[in-house]
Amino acid sequence: MAEARSDEINSQAKMRRLRIWAEPWLYLSPALIFIVTVLLLPLVIGISYSFYKFSAFHSEYAGFDQYRALAADPVLYHSLSNTLWWTGASLILQFFLGLGLALILNRPFLGRKLVQAVVFLPWAVPTFLTGLTWAWLFNPLIGPIPHVLYFLGIQSEAVTILASPDHAMWGPIAANVWYGIPFFAITLLAARKSIPTELYEAASIDGATAWQQFTKVTLPFLAPTIAITVMLRTVWIATFADLIYVMTAGGPAGSTETIATYIYVTTFKALDKGYASAIAVLLLVLLILYALLVIQLRRRLLRDF
Amino acid sequence: MVGKSNLRRAFEGTGLYMVVALYVIFALFPIYWTVKISVTPQNLLYSEGIKLWPSKITLANYRSVLAASDFPRYFLNSMIVSISTSLLVTAIASLAGYALSRFIFPGKVWVSLLLLLTQTFPLVMVIPPIFRIMGQLGLTDNLYGLIIIYTAFNIAFATFLMQSFFDGVPKDLEEAAMIDGCSRFQALRRIILPLTLPGMGATVAFVFTAAWSELLFALMLINSEGQKTFSVGLLTFIGKFAVDWGQMMAASVLALIPVCLFFAFLQRYLVTGLTAGAVKG
Amino acid sequence: MRKFALSMCFGVAAMALSTASALADTTVQLVEVITSPQRTEFLKSQLAEFEKANPGIHVEVVSLPWGEAFEKFLSMVQAGQIPDMVEMPERWMGLYANNGQLEDLGAYMKNWDEAKTLGDRAKQLGSTVKSTQFMIPYGYYINAMFWNKKLFKDAGLSGPPQTMDEFAADAKQISAKLPGKYGYCLRGGPGAFGSIQQFMDNVDGKPGYFNADGTSIFNEEGAVKGLQMLADIYQKGWAPKDSVSWGFNELVTGFYTGTCAMLNQDPDALIGIAEKMKADDFAVAPWPVGTSGKAYPALGYAGWAMMSASKHKDETWKVMSFLLDNKQNLGWAKTVGTLPIHNGAEQDEHFKTEQFSGWFTELKDTTKYELVTPPTYLENLGVFYDSQVPKNFQAVLLGQKTAKEVADGWAKFLNDEQAKYMAAHK
Repeated sequence: MAEARSDEINSQAKMRRLRIWAEPWLYLSPALIFIVTVLLLPLVIGISYSFYKFSAFHSEYAGFDQYRALAADPVLYHSLSNTLWWTGASLILQFFLGLGLALILNRPFLGRKLVQAVVFLPWAVPTFLTGLTWAWLFNPLIGPIPHVLYFLGIQSEAVTILASPDHAMWGPIAANVWYGIPFFAITLLAARKSIPTELYEAASIDGATAWQQFTKVTLPFLAPTIAITVMLRTVWIATFADLIYVMTAGGPAGSTETIATYIYVTTFKALDKGYASAIAVLLLVLLILYALLVIQLRRRLLRDF
Repeated sequence: MVGKSNLRRAFEGTGLYMVVALYVIFALFPIYWTVKISVTPQNLLYSEGIKLWPSKITLANYRSVLAASDFPRYFLNSMIVSISTSLLVTAIASLAGYALSRFIFPGKVWVSLLLLLTQTFPLVMVIPPIFRIMGQLGLTDNLYGLIIIYTAFNIAFATFLMQSFFDGVPKDLEEAAMIDGCSRFQALRRIILPLTLPGMGATVAFVFTAAWSELLFALMLINSEGQKTFSVGLLTFIGKFAVDWGQMMAASVLALIPVCLFFAFLQRYLVTGLTAGAVKG
Repeated sequence: MRKFALSMCFGVAAMALSTASALADTTVQLVEVITSPQRTEFLKSQLAEFEKANPGIHVEVVSLPWGEAFEKFLSMVQAGQIPDMVEMPERWMGLYANNGQLEDLGAYMKNWDEAKTLGDRAKQLGSTVKSTQFMIPYGYYINAMFWNKKLFKDAGLSGPPQTMDEFAADAKQISAKLPGKYGYCLRGGPGAFGSIQQFMDNVDGKPGYFNADGTSIFNEEGAVKGLQMLADIYQKGWAPKDSVSWGFNELVTGFYTGTCAMLNQDPDALIGIAEKMKADDFAVAPWPVGTSGKAYPALGYAGWAMMSASKHKDETWKVMSFLLDNKQNLGWAKTVGTLPIHNGAEQDEHFKTEQFSGWFTELKDTTKYELVTPPTYLENLGVFYDSQVPKNFQAVLLGQKTAKEVADGWAKFLNDEQAKYMAAHK
């Protein structure tokens, strides 16, 4: 009698443990199903392409040849450095300008609601349209920017910077910054708003200056949001080919070719899916390493705080 | 002393306004340019290209986009896809974000990494396999295929967002409810979700924008006119031999209007919503 | 009971009618790639006329935006979504024909009345791959020289240049005498190779891409000089600085805003330019001759091809032959800016004007002008244009690479491709 009961209790306990174990996975399942079937499966197939050599209608097995070619490709190294330049400059500008804007929007002023609405607009424009509009803003024939730059003395003649190999990258960077500021402004503003005001009151009673309040109260509370937005945005920028491709097609002479545009061009102009896939795998690995780094940093920050 | 701080305050005040004004000009200038081109008559487009406002304005471009082209149809398609995607993603991401926020379980880090993985490769890489698979399932050339792909792609970002909102809601709330006899899911539905409603609004907004402006998949998967989205429609104005700037800009402005209205409506929630939980991120 | 029988009769009759029409109704899927709102409208009106004359055949038009048409069409074909007929630019033909994707139109043409008035050129140009008629052109794009009469007058020049040396001198003079104006509208961006080939051939004194033995002309001394001439034009400021990345749109804009005085283009540019410039301000002259006393303008073409996977080949041919008959073709050529394919076209009102004289002179005077068509039988011609040319040409213009270096690279690529082709088609 007692045995039967303890068996029952045991199996009940097992059921409970099973349910507890399964619970989070139940909540996660729709997301995971979608991701695995729609994205990860094709990703694996896409990665498998990197072991083949493709032409438009044929393919042959190539083992690691594509990766060997990758290591010896000067264009790849050039694109890598361009990508660093592109990602770094875009991110730093967007982030700090966005942060500044967020802090400003945090203070009350006349017309703030309207400005808050306006701030979001650049993010709502399709990126290829952004690229096109900015490309023509830079074109001296019908755009104002070259003339303004010439007027300010920054340029010696009114030409488009998109045609200059040394400066062309600034065009897409400007467009990207315009596009990306709202993302940081809105997320950081929200995070800022959730910091309890008592903390600031306490700090100013203690005699802290504005700067000290910023570094000792604001920044630590913003840190987690900063970490995740910076990480996501970096990854997005690094894989982003639209803006650059529309504005310069990677030119002139490859001076604005980033990894993302190189992958696009290799797939659709040189028609070698296999090589493009190998480059993409490289990018993927680099980005995952970067993400791991950021996660570690964040853990470190939170621990200190 | 008082005078000094008043002066300083006035200084800071105008400084603030100047910075705000500068930013607003910067943010609006390209959009303003778009509007300007959309009302410039064709023959003045290049001769008056650099002027701030054309000498004559015309609404002909708007008329032709609305009446003659398939634009209203493209617009409707984009709306259907964007709204469906944003609602679907928010629902899925709410569940997933809740799990990541509330539970500690083995493999949690791997799930986050997996989500992140979906953002680290350029879409170009997966177009051929997706095209093939969707083709065999009969999901090419219709909006369902697009909705499915957009959903998958946006889940990661939306999940991280929702996770941070849930992080801002104390766990005691649903624990109290569960002690009272609710199942966890009921507690989630009845108590927690209403608190994160603004946050969900924010997620809907971001995903809507992403789906609205997506181009590559819409281009590759859709052939027939009746199923095209408006991003692809904009491309038709770029011919091999001419770019119909007037019409293209008019179409863009028209497309921005509902997005603007949508955001004007949501932006109250956007900021207060993100407020509710972005502390721990 | 009667009501039931009646409704049954109606039901059966309705079913019979619908199946009958369903049986008779074939849908031909046509993909257009050089798409613009005007072209699509005109094409659809032509097809409406066709459908009226051919009840039972319905034509479904799929319009691809030109900027992404190559990628998209290739993706479609690779994934098995193959239409019945497609608008085929000449540089795509090698890719699809060499991979068995296109149907041989020879048999259909034999029974076609209109083939009699079709110029020889059409038959020849459509069968460069394996001597099989894989496509039929619907029009020719020939390059000639647009020149701005006003700018020339203001710079003290009396007329367009007749030789390449005069061309360089004129470009120099215009750029020197008129501040903010330039002599040549240089195309440094996509699609540049048409002009590059002309410069190289003209200065080398030989037509085409290859010598008779299959080696490329492009790294011969004269050809390298021609490439260098383009680099000089850019580096000496006879072309606008922005032109290093100019594509078609910027190029044509540069011409009709009066920024640069000479433009190498074909009749479709005329449509845009004629809208924006006064007829008196510009004219079209034949291209200046080179060292051999001849000029070698590029001849491009696009046309219609039938996919070999089509399930409605006869109906597709009906649509194709309709679009390609003399009357329809003339209308099409006028709308889209090509030179029509049937003999006698130059007698037509529209083509008799001064604006068209440049092109027709090049077509007719075979002593001075030899038209060069690209080697469309090469499978990777597109790859050459899209990934071998753009970066390297810009590098030459910017002085990052020497003309010889780049010309050698091009010659090597083309030689390899040619050798591959010749080996596979003994």
